[in-house]
Amino acid sequence: MRHLIVRKLIVDDRNELFDAQGMRYVEFPSDYARIREYAVAILEDCPSVFHEGNLLEQQLSEIIKNGIKHGNRSDPSKRLRLWYDLRKRVRVIVEDEGEGFRDLDVWNDFYTRRQTALFNEDFDAFLDLASYRGPSSGPEDGGNSLIAALEYWNGGMIYNAKRNKVGVVRWFAGGSD
Amino acid sequence: MDTKELGRSVDGFEECSLSGDCDLYSAPAFASEMIARLERGQRKLRFILRDLRYLDSTGVGAIIRILQTARRLGGEIRFRGLGGSPRKVLEMSNIISIMIVEDGERAAK
Repeated sequence: MRHLIVRKLIVDDRNELFDAQGMRYVEFPSDYARIREYAVAILEDCPSVFHEGNLLEQQLSEIIKNGIKHGNRSDPSKRLRLWYDLRKRVRVIVEDEGEGFRDLDVWNDFYTRRQTALFNEDFDAFLDLASYRGPSSGPEDGGNSLIAALEYWNGGMIYNAKRNKVGVVRWFAGGSD
Repeated sequence: MDTKELGRSVDGFEECSLSGDCDLYSAPAFASEMIARLERGQRKLRFILRDLRYLDSTGVGAIIRILQTARRLGGEIRFRGLGGSPRKVLEMSNIISIMIVEDGERAAK
């Protein structure tokens, strides 16, 4: 018998994913044109086994983009703060200076409907729900970065109470070299 | 990202090869161009993705918009040569489940 399991974005201010002790720290101006450059710089000395082609770079770019575009509204006076640890697994904390992800609960409801349509093989409904459209979504936003992120960050994806800070971790079979 | 027109295949699809990075910088223009083609009447498009190196959520969003437009206009979109991290990204976002993905070298021109 098939069962539908839908993951959710979680808010937990005290989660261990926000413990930045021993992590490296960097901060960036909110320059939309340099998002991928920031991700590449962070991964400069990352163990090769973690890269999985360019999947890690892509997923790291997504959470940097969310902070710069949706959090800081690409305001160059606002900084993006980032902690990272690339030993044994990839762990990242990203904090922006925005008002926080107000629609987190709405997004969770959307995601449940989306995955239910997919589970029921209602592909017309699924295509309608393929991209999330919130109040701050622009016409060019993909609207699916969090969906892949929930899958990719297999050790958790947690928001703080203000929802302007996210902690993520990905574990790898076999760990680093 | 570079797009290269390959002409019409024997099964009537206009083919286009994508190479490089379909990302937050290049994907919006790609989506606009392909949606315009669908609206101009090119209703059967095939994307050859063998040389696509990088796909992010904006690129996935572009594919979604193209698929939605094709459905609205009664068109058909097919994909060939999908692999590597672009395939993985489409799997993680479940979008691959609504894509027609063909095997790499099967159909003759």
